[in-house]
Amino acid sequence: MDDTPILAVTGLRARVPGVDLDILKGVDLAIRPGEIHAIMGPNGSGKSTLAKVIAGHPAYEPTDGSIDLRGEDLLEMEPDERAQAGVFMAFQYPVEIPGVSIANFLRTALQARLENGDELDLFDFQELLMERMELLDMDVAFAQRPVNDGFSGGEKKRNEILQMAVLKPSLAVMDETDSGLDIDALKIVSNGVNTLKRENPEMSVLLITHYQRILDHIVPDVVHVMVGGRIVESGGPEVALELEARGYEEYRNVHVA
Amino acid sequence: MSQVAVASERQRRTIDRSAVLKAGAADPAWLRTRREDAWDTYTATPMPSTRSEEWRYTDVARMLPLEELTLARGDDPEAPYGGALPEGLRRAMEQDRDSAGRIVDVDGSIIAVELDETLAARGVVLSSLREAARNGGGEIEALLATEAVPASDGKFPALNAALWSDGVFLRIPRGVRLERPIRLSRWVSRPGTATFTRVLIVAEELSQVSFVDEILSPDFEVATLVNTAVEIFARGAARVQYVSLQRMGRGACYLANQRTLAERDSTLDTLNVALGGSLGRVDLNARLVGPGANSDMLGLYFGDTDQHFDFNTSQDHVAPHAHSDLLYKGALDGSAKGIFRGIIRVHEGAQGTDAYQTNRNLILSEQAVATSLPNLEIGADDVRCSHGATVGQLDPEALFYLMSRGLKRGQAERLVVMGFLGEVMSRLPMGGVVEKVTDAIESKLGYV
Ligand SMILES: Nc1ncnc2c1ncn2[C@@H]1O[C@H](COP(=O)(O)OP(=O)(O)OP(=O)(O)O)[C@@H](O)[C@H]1O
Ligand SMILES: [Mg+2]
Repeated sequence: MDDTPILAVTGLRARVPGVDLDILKGVDLAIRPGEIHAIMGPNGSGKSTLAKVIAGHPAYEPTDGSIDLRGEDLLEMEPDERAQAGVFMAFQYPVEIPGVSIANFLRTALQARLENGDELDLFDFQELLMERMELLDMDVAFAQRPVNDGFSGGEKKRNEILQMAVLKPSLAVMDETDSGLDIDALKIVSNGVNTLKRENPEMSVLLITHYQRILDHIVPDVVHVMVGGRIVESGGPEVALELEARGYEEYRNVHVA
Repeated sequence: MSQVAVASERQRRTIDRSAVLKAGAADPAWLRTRREDAWDTYTATPMPSTRSEEWRYTDVARMLPLEELTLARGDDPEAPYGGALPEGLRRAMEQDRDSAGRIVDVDGSIIAVELDETLAARGVVLSSLREAARNGGGEIEALLATEAVPASDGKFPALNAALWSDGVFLRIPRGVRLERPIRLSRWVSRPGTATFTRVLIVAEELSQVSFVDEILSPDFEVATLVNTAVEIFARGAARVQYVSLQRMGRGACYLANQRTLAERDSTLDTLNVALGGSLGRVDLNARLVGPGANSDMLGLYFGDTDQHFDFNTSQDHVAPHAHSDLLYKGALDGSAKGIFRGIIRVHEGAQGTDAYQTNRNLILSEQAVATSLPNLEIGADDVRCSHGATVGQLDPEALFYLMSRGLKRGQAERLVVMGFLGEVMSRLPMGGVVEKVTDAIESKLGYV
């Protein structure tokens, strides 16, 4: 496998304008094509902030460091350009878009990826959508529902993975996709991600979670521990098991910001 | 002054009593009297001012210099229309799918009427209102500007009742149900003119009809007025849908007075779409006069640049056990203004009333302003009423969510706006209207 990272985060600091303190205080992270990395860490440690800065959320302001996607400066790109470049973030809290059906939304998203003047083949789209919904064990009627509007917590998470399965990213950032899923749904979603991974072995995953459980299904190459806006430890899957047993206490004591 | 200017000056006809006489020259006596009485009401009624509640946000006297306008029909309201169908109107009509009948109005004159022959044979009447008033029996005399939009309603209803040049009369006999809509296609061509028209619809018991009233014009450099009075009667258990689609050009001022009277067990729905013009003011009064009557009232507006839309609605529950449900939704961009003022009045004795009223606005720019004034007046017990209003902005989280899937900012905005308006859009009639509204909104959003 290629050894140059698809994603290289170096010395990344970020904050929300108006708040003086940095949320991210120098994050270093390198993910090579095909690798699965997990990030665990206590509430408020900056995991979602990292995910959103990667995706280009306008509320966060990178103050130092860099993010490169295949050597390209990601921080210079608009959120849509990042998506076009292969980045996908499954939101911890997916947003409701009243009146816009999932099918319409995904059709527009796929159309946006085409060259100017090219028209998305609606038949192909329909087929892809149906196939992806089947993969995730979703009712076809779901595609006609407005995006996240009135969805249960689990439905919202599943909808995130449906979008991921349709858009086929090369870097998938999954922010607590497992939270709120029941045991069966967790299996279905994990299988879905693994299927995507089989289809495209080069797909890299950054998986944020609080629970070791999902890592039994989606097996990580590297597990990072994030505390106080920094990655304080990185290792193999055993790190997650240790955390499950011992919690974050030791890190908290060592790394007071 | 040049020769040409003198000639056209002579054809100008300002808004005065002699215009009333001219407009009614060939009318039956009752109508001439009605016009003259209306003129008296007009002169006795002060111009609406922003000091009154109902006109507080629309300074109509300033926006519309009535004394500078000339009547669209010029010197001879009887002269037949000679020109070809205006290009813009022709294009709009081509976009329409099937219809049961069509009627075309250019500058306040009906120039064409077409009705499915089998419907005509079954007694459906679709005609020029002027002709109907002259040839018809007592029905028009009884219903025209009396119960629904009489001169006494206000300054503009009075002016309209005095000066209307033509309009539409539609009558659906008992039990006749039209599956396809009747379409009125209107065009205004002359800058600086005032056009007064009326629509009178009578749906007899158990009948059914859908009427689409579309109005268009080019852009005008000077204020140009269209005033229309719409009177709709739904008799027992009739089903009527009235759709107004206002897509006029800039400079146009569209003032509409609409009143619907829904009798026992009837359904009388209205839908007002405002997209064009510089000033749009709709006064809509839905009266539920029979038990079991039902009125859904939908509104949709999209303002940009300095467009000004003002909706003044009322739901009058006169009879018990009637239902009305109003939903007006609008998006405002540029420095556009949207005003919604609505009232539900539950009259004494109207127990079992079910009445709802919702106005929602989406603001797309810093300068755009929405004013929403919902109101309730309850004079009976045992009623279910609710009203609500919201003014919101584009949600930056929603935009980011969509952009993070690869949509450009403009596409994301378009999707959010369309989604917001979708609640009303999804209830627009098929066969042309949805497509026209979608196109118009998309071109406003800059994605033609
Ligand atoms: N938009 C914002 N405005 C102000 N503070 C913010 C904002 N976003 C994040 N923060 C703060 O930054 C810190 C990190 O938040 P973040 O959401 O990244 O944590 P997290 O690690 O994802 O937590 P959790 O496990 O609870 O999801 C928190 O203290 C949070 O309150
Ligand atoms: Mg989080």
